[in-house]
Amino acid sequence: MKISFKKSRVLITVASAALVATAVIGIPSVAQAADPQCATANYITQCAGAGTDGAPYMMIAAANFNGTVFIWSHGIRPAINIPATLAPVGPYTVTNAAEPGPLAASGDLSVVNALVAAGYGVAGSGFARQSLNVKEALAANVELIATFKKKFPTTKKVIAWGASLGAIHSQKLAETNPDLVDGLVLACPAANPSDGLVNYFGDALYGFKAFFDPSIKVGGYSTDPVVRQTEQLANIGKVLTVLGKLSAGLSSGAWPDTASPAGKALEAAGIPSRSALLAVGLMAGIPTRSKHVDGTSGPTGAAETYPLAVAPAVAILENMGTVGVAGSLLIADGELLTGGKVFDNSKTDYAARVASDRDIYSFALSGNSAVDAIIGALAATPREVADPAAVAKIPSFVGLKGSVTKPTVMIVGESDEYAPASGAQWLIDSYGPQFEAAKESAIAAAKSSRSYQAPVNKLITLWQKTAPKYSKFTAAGSPDLTSEIGAGTGHCYYSSAQYIAAAKLAAGAVSTGKFPLQGPITSAARKVGLSYDKKFRVPTYKSLS
Amino acid sequence: MIRTNRQKLALTSALLAVAALTASSLPAQAASDPGVTATSIKLGITVPMTGIASPGYNKIPGAMKAYFDYVNDNGGVNGRKITLVIKDDQYIPTTAVAKANELILKDKVFALVGTLGTASTKAISASTQLAKRGIPSLFVNTGFSGFADAKAYPTTFSILPSYQMEAKIMGKFLKEKYADKKLALIYQDDDFGRDALAGFKQAGITFGTYIPYASGSQSLPATGAGWISKLKASGAEVTVLFGVSSASTAALANAYAAQYKTQWVLGSVGGDATTIAATNKAYVPLLYGAKGFSFAPAPTDATDEYIKLFQSIYATAQPTQTFDNNVVAGMSNAFLAVQALKAAGSDLTRAGLIKTIETKGASFANPFLTPLGYSATAHVGATGYWIGTYDPTGALKPDGGKYTVYTTDSGNGPVVESSYKRPAMPAKGLPN
Repeated sequence: MKISFKKSRVLITVASAALVATAVIGIPSVAQAADPQCATANYITQCAGAGTDGAPYMMIAAANFNGTVFIWSHGIRPAINIPATLAPVGPYTVTNAAEPGPLAASGDLSVVNALVAAGYGVAGSGFARQSLNVKEALAANVELIATFKKKFPTTKKVIAWGASLGAIHSQKLAETNPDLVDGLVLACPAANPSDGLVNYFGDALYGFKAFFDPSIKVGGYSTDPVVRQTEQLANIGKVLTVLGKLSAGLSSGAWPDTASPAGKALEAAGIPSRSALLAVGLMAGIPTRSKHVDGTSGPTGAAETYPLAVAPAVAILENMGTVGVAGSLLIADGELLTGGKVFDNSKTDYAARVASDRDIYSFALSGNSAVDAIIGALAATPREVADPAAVAKIPSFVGLKGSVTKPTVMIVGESDEYAPASGAQWLIDSYGPQFEAAKESAIAAAKSSRSYQAPVNKLITLWQKTAPKYSKFTAAGSPDLTSEIGAGTGHCYYSSAQYIAAAKLAAGAVSTGKFPLQGPITSAARKVGLSYDKKFRVPTYKSLS
Repeated sequence: MIRTNRQKLALTSALLAVAALTASSLPAQAASDPGVTATSIKLGITVPMTGIASPGYNKIPGAMKAYFDYVNDNGGVNGRKITLVIKDDQYIPTTAVAKANELILKDKVFALVGTLGTASTKAISASTQLAKRGIPSLFVNTGFSGFADAKAYPTTFSILPSYQMEAKIMGKFLKEKYADKKLALIYQDDDFGRDALAGFKQAGITFGTYIPYASGSQSLPATGAGWISKLKASGAEVTVLFGVSSASTAALANAYAAQYKTQWVLGSVGGDATTIAATNKAYVPLLYGAKGFSFAPAPTDATDEYIKLFQSIYATAQPTQTFDNNVVAGMSNAFLAVQALKAAGSDLTRAGLIKTIETKGASFANPFLTPLGYSATAHVGATGYWIGTYDPTGALKPDGGKYTVYTTDSGNGPVVESSYKRPAMPAKGLPN
């Protein structure tokens, strides 16, 4: 009996793995009815439906469903169409297609397949609204969990997981509905106390406006939806144009012809545009390492001077593409949602922001005198003043409390330019006092119960660290943008094995009530190219430092 | 009564149990601090072992290791042998961060020691969050006055006098010696130079010409030539160079090529003959007659008991290498590290080491000719300089044939001739 039981389990698992791989590709059309449309084939049940707000969702579980479901929240998608003329950002058409798990949007179902084959259920909504959709996502996820439990009544545990903005959704779900969530996986989390990310994007755009193109908008978008959209697209175009001109002037130091009078004065003073570009990056806290620029390598003949003089600016250039586009989309959307200007730098001390960096990047910044001149030139560009009522609403749209009450696994890229690792560090730092408080409570409880129950650690972070060297150079001495992306750079560049490892760690903790000891976590992380080190830290958001 | 006592006893036991559990949940420093075992202490250093800044500086780790081996051969520090893990940062701050991370996370060193360069030290401190993690950074090789600020850098300790102190002492010297001359200043345009400018201002010195340069740009051919053009145009009779030795090389070589003569006054980190020779040995004599500053005994001073000991140790450890300023710096650094570790006692913890340097550091035995300034609020090492003149071999010899040491602080304190008498070296050069 025992042997045959094992055999049958193995057969089901193998069959499930094979069938999900084919079945998921053929996603049933979205149903508009309250009940999902389901199809079961080869032990796998796959359902599609729409929530009360019309958000499409997808649910999948196999016959060997073990009672634990992963509820996926996808990352940010723009809320406006982007034309092909704004390549490489466009073409993009707004979509609210359901996404059952990580990587699925790109057609890679390996994570979904692996989890379903292992007996887990998976589900995910496409959300009724895109861009800053925390409220919509929260409602959709709450409804989706109920729908999943109704369809699969043996469901016992729910693990919320998501990437980037989706990590905010997952964390928000746990913070507001702790009874619905048993565990979390937060990938490249845009964890954000309230205004960390707004400032990150706003500071970068403000710097671009101040130096490279005064017509770039930092905020204050039109309330008219059509005009606002036009402004957003125009802003993206301007940022991309400036980036192209800065790229062309990297070696010569030439400034874009759209430079502000203050920028032109800096150019006349002999300060290269790359120094101002780097200063903008440092003002905002943009990583000085990027997908193709490790900051420590140089091309043949400039192996030592390139990292000192040029590389940090090149990394900012590569990262600023993401930051500038995201800023143009998100700040406008934030203003739409809150009803007023959300970015405020009227009291920001940019000199202090770069104070600890000016020596580190001295050559690339062209020395202290140049930094003083660059920061001084900001005075010519009026600061942005936010609407306090709008700012007060930010937490409800993107803010988190940072409370960790369920087993939580984070995967974090050290040099993520979109959702800086500072966000994850904020959550780690937020959890420290919570754990200490739990210890104090346990001690207090022990005084009356005479039995000490040590609190369990609820948060582990798997770091995707940035390697010291990964840059490749072309024969002309430029970074080779066709070379492999450096680990720990870019936004949410995780392999399916890394997602699966994080998911299984979370599932294990949800099942047993605690994470394994350090050794097994370290080993599991290492196997998939991640690092588990409780003492590793990255700097917090510049605006919060 | 019995019942009450029993209850009390039970309650007491429970509380004791809780207390024990509580205590066990606290970090057990001795056991949890990495890099220390009953028989060993692991330290780590990141320095330029290759690249443009490596000549000279790349001798520091070898010199440190030579002294550590000497101490190990003589029983170690409180029974522990010291190992030194050496990383090459090429003098690139981002590389220094990566290497420091390797030392901390992979090699699991107990402390960093002798990190070199203001920018690299700052980058490491900021990126690896040394202070938040309580990791000591011992005796960093930079004179940036900020590192002496215990509040800003609570786990970092300087060893050099600050550049601000140096500029104040240099300012007094310039006033006394070259009051009627046209003065020019070439300075590194970062916190190194900022310290210098602050010091000169406090000394009441105004230069006719200021030539800032971004750190690293001295390696570009046009940079040095540009300086000399500006100096020529200004007619500077005395030129102070407040930069690293590679900057001095660029200045001296270009001045020579342009047949431009000025009285060079070189900051303490700018007159290393080894570095200059690495570019071109023929440049070393160009140092001849330049004024220089130091706080350690001259490497050629065989009458100094520390120098004598260091020469002996180094000759055994590195028989093919020249004994120079960099070796003295490395061995002095190692000596001070051993002294601090020794003073921290057998129950060695990171927090305990930091506390020990803060409370006892000012009285540590050391080779320097100036007092040490360590306290709970100031993490400053040596506090003064003697002034000398370079001979044709590039060796700095004290003016007047003896060390006249001047001390000051990084604030508004006066520059005074020091009456400090260095305590005798501990027996066999082993801190006790």
